[in-house]
Amino acid sequence: MTSKSQSQSTGKPKTPASATADLERGYRMMMLPAVLAVGIFAIVPLAGMLALSVSDYHLIRGTNWDFGFKNFVKLVSDKRLMNSVYAMSILSFLGVALQVLIGAAIAVGLSKIVGKWRLGRIFFLLPYAVPHVAVALIWLSLFTPILSPINAFFDLFGVTVPSFLTTQYGALFAIVLADTWTNFPFAMLIILAALQGISPDLDEAAALDGATRVQTFFYVTLPLLVPAFLMVTLFRFIDSLKHFPMIFVMTKGGPGRSTQATNYYAYIQTFQNSNVAYGAAIAVTLFIVAAFISFYVARLNQQVNS
Amino acid sequence: MKKFLSTLVSTAVMVGAASTSTMVSAADEINVVMFGMPYTKGLAALADDFEKETGIKANIDVIGQDVFENRITLSFTGKSGDIDVVHTPVIQVQRWVAADWLKPITAEVDGLAVKADIMAGPLDAYKINGEQWAVPYMAATGLMTYRKDILEEAGVEVPQTWEEMLAVAAKIHNDETAAIAMRAVPGQGFNMFIFPMVMRAYGGKFFEDYTAGDLTPAINSPETLEALNVYMKLLNEYGPQGAGNFNFAEVQAAAQNGQIAFAVEGTGIAASLVDPEKSKFADKTGITLPPGGPAGRSPAIAVHGLGIPASAKNPELSMKFIEWAVSSETMTKIALAQPFSNFTTQPVADNADVIAKYSKVHPDFLTVQAEALNLAIGHYRPLLPEWPALGQAIGENINAALNGLMSPEEALEAAEQEMNDILGN
Repeated sequence: MTSKSQSQSTGKPKTPASATADLERGYRMMMLPAVLAVGIFAIVPLAGMLALSVSDYHLIRGTNWDFGFKNFVKLVSDKRLMNSVYAMSILSFLGVALQVLIGAAIAVGLSKIVGKWRLGRIFFLLPYAVPHVAVALIWLSLFTPILSPINAFFDLFGVTVPSFLTTQYGALFAIVLADTWTNFPFAMLIILAALQGISPDLDEAAALDGATRVQTFFYVTLPLLVPAFLMVTLFRFIDSLKHFPMIFVMTKGGPGRSTQATNYYAYIQTFQNSNVAYGAAIAVTLFIVAAFISFYVARLNQQVNS
Repeated sequence: MKKFLSTLVSTAVMVGAASTSTMVSAADEINVVMFGMPYTKGLAALADDFEKETGIKANIDVIGQDVFENRITLSFTGKSGDIDVVHTPVIQVQRWVAADWLKPITAEVDGLAVKADIMAGPLDAYKINGEQWAVPYMAATGLMTYRKDILEEAGVEVPQTWEEMLAVAAKIHNDETAAIAMRAVPGQGFNMFIFPMVMRAYGGKFFEDYTAGDLTPAINSPETLEALNVYMKLLNEYGPQGAGNFNFAEVQAAAQNGQIAFAVEGTGIAASLVDPEKSKFADKTGITLPPGGPAGRSPAIAVHGLGIPASAKNPELSMKFIEWAVSSETMTKIALAQPFSNFTTQPVADNADVIAKYSKVHPDFLTVQAEALNLAIGHYRPLLPEWPALGQAIGENINAALNGLMSPEEALEAAEQEMNDILGN
């Protein structure tokens, strides 16, 4: 429309090259609102966080706006940070591994189901639709012995289920379980989509060559799923670095500081201890870790594809 | 470069603050941000009354406590001016004043017609450096509920001290009904709202001499150790399974389900346990002061009020709202509509309907509450800007000891060390 009206006004027909250039300019203009939105609401706060992390911004002690890397130097010797990295590693590695494995197993199962039973997929997606705070409240009840139907059931047989949330590894495990319950559908969905993208011809060809179904799965299907596995692991891992609602609702970081993952520790430094600059330094470090992992996995993905 | 970086920080914080709020104050419109409590919910329900009386529209936002912290921090640090009246817990006010987040309102409060009606203690709690920073609307205290039937059956009296509580707990504790539950999860508003009641009863203290201004940490003392051992023994040996991760909701549920005999809690929860509409064991439940010890009895206290942010654009309208919100008329309406008995506007206590309502909940309720408030010391939890950080650190160590991650001696030593670190000693 634009190029037509322009050519009418100038009276000269447009060359294909200039028409393409016009179109491209149009597309760029269409992208402008999104670019501006990302710029204002993502890039500026991120740059601000970087600046905060090298500042001395403290809500109570006062701020001289001295900039330097002392927050990052302090990070290295902060025992509480090391403790939080340990908790985060357990929550992230164990949680993501369980989510991907369970998601993949269910995806493989669901991919074999045809007909109206395919609607059953919705059932497995439900946990993903529940808000995280609600998920945390559900699992807090399940792990609180006096409220838990699981404990009540085993009590009938005289079996006492131990209290998970009052021991270090029990509490970590409880959070992993809650996180897995709500996030495995994401892994399932991506892997199911990848499975459906694999041509059935490959299975048939393998069968013709005498491969068993197990062999076909491990030597044909699974290698084709690697990019999907990499992507889902990456997404889930980055998301798992942001652990917060489960911890806040289920344990408040306890027992002691056992479940204070790094993101939660940054919250405590910023909002309880008023040390905004130090909290930002922790957040920046987490961001660098996430960016590094993304970059590495993206490269790995490229290698696999090529 | 320094200027560029500090501008960048301010811009980023402002963008963050702006993105958290879509509300913009108009001339005859104010935004009130509070966290969920019976009073705040009751107040939100009366917003139309305020508009009818004054012509000012009040957008009352009642949000979760965790969201509240983030919301106001972004708004205040970004000076976005999108909050006109803010819920101001007394435990935070020192920190907010230190951070220049609040507007002093001494002259405005002095000019309030309702000032004479407001209880002096809670009002004074908001006085820092000679200035008034907020107006209180409630003062919650610590109370103990007990199951009369269980005590009668065991032939024991209501314990007056924590020592007696240990003896009674040993007699009544069984697999069906545990003796006692109290908050245990770490946090200045969680285990550190309850544990100081035990600590102070044994003569334990946070600082060498808080009232004289000697803020040398002194939590690692034989008195606090004795108190911690009692607290741990009560919860670990005579508490329900999993008591080491209980917060107020679990304590309340355990009492409402008849799974515990004693609960030491704040006014709101304690009131719900003796209210026949809220607990099926209410008719068998008594209410009294929390136990004391060699150093006396020290019920917890938590005052909440309303303040005006330093960045508020129209403080006159904010003040009009506060005056309405703490007036006898508004308070009485909320006290009748909500489980809200711990109001700080005195004439509400004389209202016949209010007296009738809370006598029906429990005949002793209002008198026990008044007695507890009289015994409570204002600095039950130290009124310092650093308290949220101190309370968090101490609470984490107390919880670690309770759950066996460290010994009580190690926990108090670590708590004192961390107090020193936070205070920069």
